[in-house]
Amino acid sequence: MKTLSFPMRPLTGGLLIAVAALAGTAHAEPGRLLAAQCAQCHGTNGAGPGFDSIAGKNAGELYHELVEMKYRPIESIMDRQARGYTEDQLLQISNYLSTLPGGGDD
Amino acid sequence: MNTLNRRQFLKLGGAASLLAALPKAVGAATTPARVVVVGGGFGGATVAKYLRMWGGNVSVILVDPNPSHLSCILSNMVVVGTLGMSRITISYDSLKARHGVNVVQGKAVGIDPAGNRLTISTSSGNKTLDYDHLVLSPGIDFAPAPGVWDPSLTPHAWQAGAQTTLLKNQLAAMRNYDKFVMTVPKSPYRCPPGPYERACVVADYLKRKGYYGAKVIVLDANAGIQAEPEAFSHAFNVTHKGMIEYHTSATVQSIDSKTRSIATSALNVSNAKVLNYIPNQVAGGITAGLPHNATGFVPVDPLTYAVQGYGNIHVIGDACAVPSSEGKAVPKSGHMANSEAKVCADAIVRTLAGGTPDENVTTNSACYSPITNKSASWLSANFNYGDIYNSKGEVIGKGMHRVDLGEAPAERVNGDSYQDMYTWAEALFSDSFM
Repeated sequence: MKTLSFPMRPLTGGLLIAVAALAGTAHAEPGRLLAAQCAQCHGTNGAGPGFDSIAGKNAGELYHELVEMKYRPIESIMDRQARGYTEDQLLQISNYLSTLPGGGDD
Repeated sequence: MNTLNRRQFLKLGGAASLLAALPKAVGAATTPARVVVVGGGFGGATVAKYLRMWGGNVSVILVDPNPSHLSCILSNMVVVGTLGMSRITISYDSLKARHGVNVVQGKAVGIDPAGNRLTISTSSGNKTLDYDHLVLSPGIDFAPAPGVWDPSLTPHAWQAGAQTTLLKNQLAAMRNYDKFVMTVPKSPYRCPPGPYERACVVADYLKRKGYYGAKVIVLDANAGIQAEPEAFSHAFNVTHKGMIEYHTSATVQSIDSKTRSIATSALNVSNAKVLNYIPNQVAGGITAGLPHNATGFVPVDPLTYAVQGYGNIHVIGDACAVPSSEGKAVPKSGHMANSEAKVCADAIVRTLAGGTPDENVTTNSACYSPITNKSASWLSANFNYGDIYNSKGEVIGKGMHRVDLGEAPAERVNGDSYQDMYTWAEALFSDSFM
């Protein structure tokens, strides 16, 4: 995915999300609840233990991977899971996960 | 919270919740809100953990009768001896030490909704716990059995622990020509693929032991396989051909634990070597004073998991009934309970901060089912909040609409998925309890 470095849509709000996360308030950042639904298989805050670590992954790459999974023929369980979200939800999830501490898996 | 507008009032669902939420929201900066969680399974542990992670100044008490959780997930692998009990025993230590959850060993015995107070029975007598929000995640209870059922003779093993060990020991006593008879409860029940998974791994065990003529007889109260129909049909008809006898529409008419005999509308069996009677199921008993639907579960608001008319009492996991499209019910599973717990925790945190619940809400279930001791299948289901539909496609309200459902393609029922099963379980155990 290194060749596709630009997201399909502008990644709005990334900086604001990061600030809110650092502030540690009870205020819910956009994408947090959606992204928490990845944690059952990828660990709390996407940081394992579990399948591929997704915390701190490049937002554009992650979004592209998820959109690819959503539309390609079913091979893995993630191809099914990605179908469970709208593209906008996948974008919010990617944005939020990119702000979390971690370097992804790749 | 400046004012509580009409929309928020409606979300909160009633006067009791208004009284409960208002003083706490006003004094939120100094006095921690009090949330009491009943049941330390996947739902209860997750809601307790995420309330502490997301809630800021929220005090969380988790009440469970057991000192640690015994997971139903992977318990079929304990029944066949592949895993030990320690593998499904999950400590509450992380919830206490890492997340500051106050875990209290006790049994919830009564709710006073008007007084916002829960009574629990502990080894040192009854105690009362005041709450601003009460989250019930009690799991299932069993519907009354027709006939004379003694689970210490004919175990269900559908709540893990001593029952798991009992079934394991009974299975280990099987020899040539012995019959393992099991029931599949009428849907909805805990873990839709679970009974079929059990039939498969028991058949696999008997085959590996080389017991001649030994067999698994499955008496399904439903018209057909309730989850992963392709994988389990293949497993019953090909992988475990001759080892599994599958009967549909087998409504249990009577059971006699002493003679290990069972009569159903499809087949009667006497003197089974093992009779694994998994009864029909209803919401856990602590929900008794709350409204129930026709199948014995508690209808909830899909954005907050609040019970209608009791805005600050929430029910999550196996005990709740989430509004969904006809024929596309939200499954009862540990994974789904974890998923619902996060939605519930987020809604409580928002409500306590004077906000309204998020409507951009999804839930999902994913699980792996062993077919043998070397291969597994998987199941995936996703739900999105929005319009829900009847069988004619007409909108019947708002709820969690199933947007995707699928099982592993045949070539994926393999050893990789078997290994993935352990990765999935480790992740889910960790996200819920650690």
